[in-house]
Amino acid sequence: MPWLRRFVNTIRSSRLQRDIDREIAFHISEREEELRANGLTADEARRRARLQFGNAAVQRERTRDVDTAALVDALLRNVRLALRGMRRAPGFSAAVVLTLALGIGANSAVFSAIDAVLLRPLPFPDSDRLVQLTQTQPAAGETHVAPIRLRDWNRLNSTFEGIAGYFTSDVVDTSGGLPERVLTLRVTHGFFDVLGVRPAIGRTFTAEEHLYAYKGPEAVIVSDRRWRSLSSDRQVLDQPMRLGNASIATIGVMPSSFRFPAADVGVWTADEDDAPWGQLRTQTWYTGIGRLKPGVTIEQARADLERVQASLATQYPDTDRQIGVRLVPLKETVVGGTRPSLWILFGAVSLLLLIACTNIAALLLSRATRREQDIIVRYSLGGSRASVAAQLLTEAGVLAFIGAAVGLAVAVVATRALRLLAPELPRVGEIAIDVRILLYTMACTVVVAIVCGLFPALRSTHRMGVTPASTRTTTSARQSLQWLLVSVQIALSVTLLAGAGLLIRSIDAMSRADTGFDAERVLTLRVSGQYGFETNDATVQRINRLLDGLATYPDIESAAVTSRLPGIREQQEQEFVLADVAAGPSARVVAANVIVTPDYFRTLRIPLLTGDVCRRSPDAGGVQTATTETMVNRRFVERFLGGRSALGVHVTGGLDTLVKNRHVFAAAPSRIVGVVGDAREDGQDREPVPTVYTCFSAPHPAPWYVIRTARHPAAAAASVRRAINALEPSRSVYDSAPLESRIDGAYAHNRLRTWLLSLFAMTALGLVCAGVYGTLSYTVSLRRREVALRLALGALRRTVVQQLIATSLRIVCLAAACGLVLALLFTRSLSTMLYGVTPTDPPTLAGVIVLVVLVAGLAAVIPATRAAFIQPMRALREE
Amino acid sequence: MAAAKNDILQGTLTLLVLKTLASNKRLHGYAITTHVQRVSGDLLRVEEGSLYPALHRMEQQGWLKAEWGVTEKNREARFYSVTAKGRRQLAVEEDSWARFTEGVGRVLRYV
Repeated sequence: MPWLRRFVNTIRSSRLQRDIDREIAFHISEREEELRANGLTADEARRRARLQFGNAAVQRERTRDVDTAALVDALLRNVRLALRGMRRAPGFSAAVVLTLALGIGANSAVFSAIDAVLLRPLPFPDSDRLVQLTQTQPAAGETHVAPIRLRDWNRLNSTFEGIAGYFTSDVVDTSGGLPERVLTLRVTHGFFDVLGVRPAIGRTFTAEEHLYAYKGPEAVIVSDRRWRSLSSDRQVLDQPMRLGNASIATIGVMPSSFRFPAADVGVWTADEDDAPWGQLRTQTWYTGIGRLKPGVTIEQARADLERVQASLATQYPDTDRQIGVRLVPLKETVVGGTRPSLWILFGAVSLLLLIACTNIAALLLSRATRREQDIIVRYSLGGSRASVAAQLLTEAGVLAFIGAAVGLAVAVVATRALRLLAPELPRVGEIAIDVRILLYTMACTVVVAIVCGLFPALRSTHRMGVTPASTRTTTSARQSLQWLLVSVQIALSVTLLAGAGLLIRSIDAMSRADTGFDAERVLTLRVSGQYGFETNDATVQRINRLLDGLATYPDIESAAVTSRLPGIREQQEQEFVLADVAAGPSARVVAANVIVTPDYFRTLRIPLLTGDVCRRSPDAGGVQTATTETMVNRRFVERFLGGRSALGVHVTGGLDTLVKNRHVFAAAPSRIVGVVGDAREDGQDREPVPTVYTCFSAPHPAPWYVIRTARHPAAAAASVRRAINALEPSRSVYDSAPLESRIDGAYAHNRLRTWLLSLFAMTALGLVCAGVYGTLSYTVSLRRREVALRLALGALRRTVVQQLIATSLRIVCLAAACGLVLALLFTRSLSTMLYGVTPTDPPTLAGVIVLVVLVAGLAAVIPATRAAFIQPMRALREE
Repeated sequence: MAAAKNDILQGTLTLLVLKTLASNKRLHGYAITTHVQRVSGDLLRVEEGSLYPALHRMEQQGWLKAEWGVTEKNREARFYSVTAKGRRQLAVEEDSWARFTEGVGRVLRYV
């Protein structure tokens, strides 16, 4: 393999050189000896031997060229040259490497997030075949699936390998000293097969264990984390766990990578899907999950399930006529929400990297001028344009390579920071710098080297001859190219700044928006409870008793229960029926449904507008016999009652979900007794929707408690917890947090996105500063003689400075205008993330332009002023 | 140079080196020069400098094998020997040389 030998020779060039030298020296000395033997003097023999051999240096080099790979050799030589050049200009090189390191590092970090979150398949075998299945209903939007219907789908379809269902529930583990709430996933038979996972230890549930009639010992599978927190040995399989009131055997431990549907699931239990309460087609609580057969598209599966559901509709017209199916790829349900943010961030870092490259290209370009003499000499000695260009490109390549190496370190730190800053990001634990990211970074580096090096390489290697006149023209041509590069930077950073500005204004608008409720000093928490362990009346009584008990504590101003937390997005709209109102039949009453206790309004300071606050539902038999009372918000009255008084109107539907689920058998219409102000229950960034507040104490066995505390809620949390423990010793308190921090948390990714984009935009602005400064400095150095001449002829220093600044500002303004056009294209993609501003918000865009022109103008002042201090006589004498 | 300008025709150096090495076991560069000069009765003279790039090229092409060894005067030198591939190449070159001289001869005879 000659090429391999040549390559090795290239790498070990000094050894090769030595060998060739020895070989040729031997030849010459042999000849010398022979000549001496023929009677010549030593000196003469040496002279003749050398003469006869010819030009030894040239032959040595030719021999060496034969033995080495010329391209690699040239590359190595160029790299050595580049490194030497870097050592000679350490400040310049450090600035370039640092800029690139930040640019490439940020880019690789964001790409690693995109790769882990969006591009890689979910950690299940053939996970692209997994889909989430839910049923749709015109009135209620998307709901869960009835167990019996899910079984029908599983039985009648022809496109799925299997369909399973699950729902979450809480159980309290009482094995230890303190009662501990454990998030439980109740799953149907086949759940683990659909996902394609097996326990790390033990087994999954048998078909018998899923039967209602099964009388054997109950069984659970525990998560890896829970297993480790208990006792990480295999003995766990035989130890029973006390869940609620039952003693249950652990039959398996899932691998640590299995975190479906959430990382905090502690145990999986077998749901009995043939249980008597699960046989009504109106009762819905499963989320469906299916595995498509190989080669089946999601459209085919959808058509298939729609056919199945259509046949069910003819079979069960009362319950199934209006039901539809909804299929979403499982991955989409996990990561879909983060896609726009991540791509926007990736777009932003890529723009930033492009700006950095342009900046460096301009820097290299101006540096190439200093080497003009050097290049001219190389040409006159017969160097080819290609070899000179290759040298300049190599220089950029070496800088890019070192920049990328440092950039990888930056990326490692950045991904770690991202994991800390965005713990809510789905799959955030999977983000890591691995081989794929390395390859991506390498590809990035190549692009960077070409973008940075190509302009200088092509521009400064124009065959320019040696006459000073032609040198001057190419210089001015290069100068305009440099300003063009600066303009590109300005245009791109206007784009970034516009995006960041709009996001900042959105956050600002959001924080100013009147939420209609007061989250300050409100503590939120849950108290464990589980369906099926007490009658509904018992739940109502238990919750009422706890609320009454809490009201006596000095730390607590008021306490209430709600079915959902205010200020956090959770779409729960449904259809209501208004009695006594002759509204047209077409006007469907769709409103948000919140189930609360009366003190909810006092606790959250939602003002009562008319009527009275509802009374608490009676302790016993509340749902079947008595009429519950209801509040509505102002928007509800405006939308559905057309200005008429709402008081006394009866509304049905508030407790429908309870009726649909378990234990509440029927709900009578409830009477509207009061109207409250509009509150942004669904999030700060969403307009209040028409809302019905049904006053009932047990929306769920473990509802949210909202507690207005006398002190800071975080400080009061411990004493509130003690109070609840005293009142309910066998139940655990969990998810305790101040409402304000909870709402903050819900918008954390929003803020993070904004701050990251702002950071990138400000960095871009900094680069623009450096670009304008560097390029104008260079212009001034080129026009030194001209300026000196003008000063010598009596021009005012002030005029000179003004002209230089004006020239730069003209270019800056033009570029900013181009940037504005780009910005309009870019900000359109932000429109879904904006609140209270349009993507073309004139004040933001105007502000950005002013900022850029101002900053660029300031950056121009120093080099321009420097021109005023040129000493005319000295400058003119220089040449 | 006192000797007549009997520089070797471009391209024939390979042939001469291969032939020289095929009839001798292994020789260093200087010995190849003296061999060609001696055998040709001083008619041919290898241009010494260009011998080494040629030797190294032939080595890269796998026609020659080179190794460091010691001369009878106990000096270190790089010795070359011909490989099997080199012998095949020699046959090709001999053949093309024969046709070349034949052709040139015919043209010269024609007039």
